[in-house]
This record gives sequence, structure tokens and C-alpha cells, in this order.
Amino acid sequence: MTRRWLGHAAFVVALVALWEAAATGGLLDPTFFGRPSGIAAYLWKGFVSEGKLWLDLGYTLAGALLSFVGGSVCAVAAGLLFMLFPAFHRSAEPYLTLLNAMPRIALAPLFLLWFGLGIGSKIAVGFSLTFFIVLAATVAGIRSVNGDHLVLSRTLGATPRQVFSKVTLPSAVPVMFSGLRLGLIFSLLGVVGAELLAAEHGLGQTLAYLQSTFNMDGVMGLLFLLAFLGLGVTLLMNRLERRLLAWQ
Amino acid sequence: MPRGEETGTGLAIEIADLVVRFGSGASAVLAVDHASFSVAPGSFVSLVGPSGCGKTTILNLLAGLLDAASQGSPAGRASVLGKPPRPGNPDIAYMLARDSLLPWRTALGNAAYGMEVRNVPAAEREARAKGLLERVGLGGFMDKYPKALSHGMRQRCALARTFALDSPVLLMDEPFGALDAQTKLQLEDVLIDLCAATAKTVVFVTHDLAEAVALSDRVIVMSARPGRIVADVAIDLPQPRSVRALQSDPRFHSLYSRLWTLLEQGMTP
Repeated sequence: MTRRWLGHAAFVVALVALWEAAATGGLLDPTFFGRPSGIAAYLWKGFVSEGKLWLDLGYTLAGALLSFVGGSVCAVAAGLLFMLFPAFHRSAEPYLTLLNAMPRIALAPLFLLWFGLGIGSKIAVGFSLTFFIVLAATVAGIRSVNGDHLVLSRTLGATPRQVFSKVTLPSAVPVMFSGLRLGLIFSLLGVVGAELLAAEHGLGQTLAYLQSTFNMDGVMGLLFLLAFLGLGVTLLMNRLERRLLAWQ
Repeated sequence: MPRGEETGTGLAIEIADLVVRFGSGASAVLAVDHASFSVAPGSFVSLVGPSGCGKTTILNLLAGLLDAASQGSPAGRASVLGKPPRPGNPDIAYMLARDSLLPWRTALGNAAYGMEVRNVPAAEREARAKGLLERVGLGGFMDKYPKALSHGMRQRCALARTFALDSPVLLMDEPFGALDAQTKLQLEDVLIDLCAATAKTVVFVTHDLAEAVALSDRVIVMSARPGRIVADVAIDLPQPRSVRALQSDPRFHSLYSRLWTLLEQGMTP
């Protein structure tokens, strides 16, 4: 275990050192690629000495969280409605497929118009991505229920409510969970994407500004920050899943 | 639609002139052809026959599963403890070929599942589930999830769930069909032990003649589709039985070969 971590640390240190050396030696133009020391300085200034990035981080995280929660709750509710009313599901499915086929980031300008420059339009984009992912997972999860479990419950005289709470829902949870994990990543993606276009605050907006002013240290710094955020979110969900689904 | 009748004859199960068709019109398949038999309370009856002979259909009919699930259209009479078949009848405990344990429940939770659906109070549920898990030899595995249990152990757990219901009538659809020979013999002994202690009425579907002879008071032999009853053989082996001891009993083997002959006659229409 420690050996593995030592290996990772050595690899990262070597890569950073090589990058720094290449930038200093003129092999890798820092104007295009930034340099590790510059990235560290930018992040230090942003989070410690000046602390301006906290506000942007907060906006982005709040947007992602709100669109994730809203999108997931609506998607799970829609999935359950579809289970209760299969005819409704059949008639709604083509329209949902059509909506889901739309490039959501291309809708961002429209959402900006409808919901304004603030966090509302970011939530709308994140929501539109999360909703369909979690909905598909919920429907797949509900379909994955084992027929034997239903027959057994029928012979026992289970009411529809008992079948739902004791069989259908627990069998859907593992598939739903993988949808939720993906949904959380995509909510972050949607929010940052919308912020890149136009926003008052947020990491995406800052990224766009840094790009237009050729501050590559800042761009690289924020890209790494976003990647680590995504990684952190995934690890958190994995841990939660292991705890909740110990039976798997 | 079969009507149950208050026969007053004291029979646990009665089937008279049962005809089951699947589908309708020209494509209709005759699954069961004028079958009649009855089962006295406390006796163990096996239905044997080639696959597709309608033995599971009869079991499903008794459990009230036939109408909605499979569009089968039954005619004739059928009753369980004098009442017409209906799904969720608390007089019946049904056991499927596959264990159908819920993977998110422990062995204890699974053994209690049937009672939970039938609203047995929690304290009693737990006591009964624990007692039965001990009886079937899973006393040390109560908090294990099904993924950690072997095939045989999972089916033991399903037996505990079935007997914990304390229903007077058991319908079992090839419960040991998917097990290896050795495990099967062990579980047959567990079943004999559980039945001896509780005096259940059992209808047991199997395609394994040795299993039918070892477990039953009577074996009903059915023909290939359309399923007709070709023989009803009393198994007069002494009680209590041990499946292992029976293997060397000449009476066991003569019953076995008699049934085998009857079954072969039924396969050639």
C-alpha cells in the first residue's frame, strides 16, 4: 500500500520537475503551457494570500450540487411514475430520447436568456444533463428486478406497496447508484461549461477570463483543480456505495 | 375458471376434471387434460412426468398464479383446504426451483421475508426464522448475505423461509432440481425432518423418480403433453425414512423401476 503511494508520488514529482525544467530551458513555452511553479503561485494567491478563488469555487460547487439534487430527485420521481404508469412511459419515451439527444451545452445560450447571467442558468444546464442520466439508470434499475422475487412475493400475497418497498426499490438501487455517480460528475461539467460561456462568478467564468488574457498558469491551475474536484466526488460516491451496498 | 367447493370431505387438496389450455383458437396448447386427484391432510404427494407435462402448471393453479401470469384458461374444479385457489393464500407456502433469496437481506432477513409480507409480528418473526435456520443447519450463517452462501446453503435458507410461514399446505416446484447429487440427498433429509415435525400437506413437483419415491406417500405419474394422469402409486416404505438408508433397500428399487416403466409408457402416446 505505502509502496504504491510512494510510486505515485515519485512519478508525479518527476513529471513536475521535468515540466519545470522544460519550461525553464525553453523546450516548453510557458506562454502556451504554463509552468508548475507559476501554477502553484497562482493557486496560492487565489486560495491563500488573496483568497479570491473561494467565491468562484463556492458558486461552481453550489451550482453543481443544486443541479445534481434537483435533477436526481426529479429523475427518480419520473422513473417511479413510469413504473406505476407504463403507458405514460411508452408515450413519453420518444420525446425524452429527442430531448436527451440535444447537445445540452448548445442550449446554454438559451438558458442564459431565460434564467439570466447568474447561477440559475448554470443550474439549468447541469439539471438537463443529470436528469436524463439518472432517469435512464432508474428505469434500468427498476427493470432489473428478478422475476423469481416477484413470483415469490405474489405467492406470499404481497401488496403492490410491499412489492415496491421490499423488492423493486432495493433491486433498483445498485443501478440507480451508478447513475447518480455519473450524474454528479455531469452536473459539475454542465455548470462549468455554462460558466465558460457567460457568468458573474464561478470557476468556468474565471477560466474563460484567464484564457482570454493568456494567463496559462491560471488556466492550468483551474483545470487541475476541476479534475481533482471530479476525482474527489467519485471517491466520495464510491465510499458511500460500498457502505450502502455491502451485500453486493 | 375452477370453482372451489366446500366439499366437507376433509381433503387438503382436490382437483377434478382439470383442463388447462394456453393461448386461444387454433394456436391453443392443451397443457393439462382432464386431471383429477386429491391429497389427504398431512400427506406428501409427488407429481412426476416428462418436462412440459403440466406438473408445474397444476402447482401454479393451486397457488392461484395461473390467471394473470400466464393467460392459462383452466376448466374443472380445484380447491385448497376447501377453498378456491387464489394468489397470496396464507394456507399455502410456495417454494420455487431457484432459491429466490433477496441478495440485500441476510440469511435471517430472508428466512423472515415471507412472514414479514404476511404481517407476522417482528419478535415472533425473528424467533421463528432463527429456530428454522438452526433446524436447516444455518445457525452459524444468520448474518451472512446470499452471495456468501453455497447453492445448498441458499436452498436451505429458502426451506427455512418456506417452513417459517407455518402454512398447512406446501407447494414445491423442483426445489432441489438445480443441486448436485450429494447436496440434494442432504437437503432431502432436511425436508423429511422438517415435514415429520410439522405434518404438512405437500405437493412436490420433480422429474427425479428416486427423489419422488424417497420423499412421498404417493407418486402421481403424468404423461407427456397434453398432461394426463397415468398412474397413482402408493409408496408404502416405512416411516421415518432416511434417504441414504433407502439407497440399499430393495423395496425402494422395485418401486423406482415400477414408476420408471409407468413413466416410459406415458412418454409414448
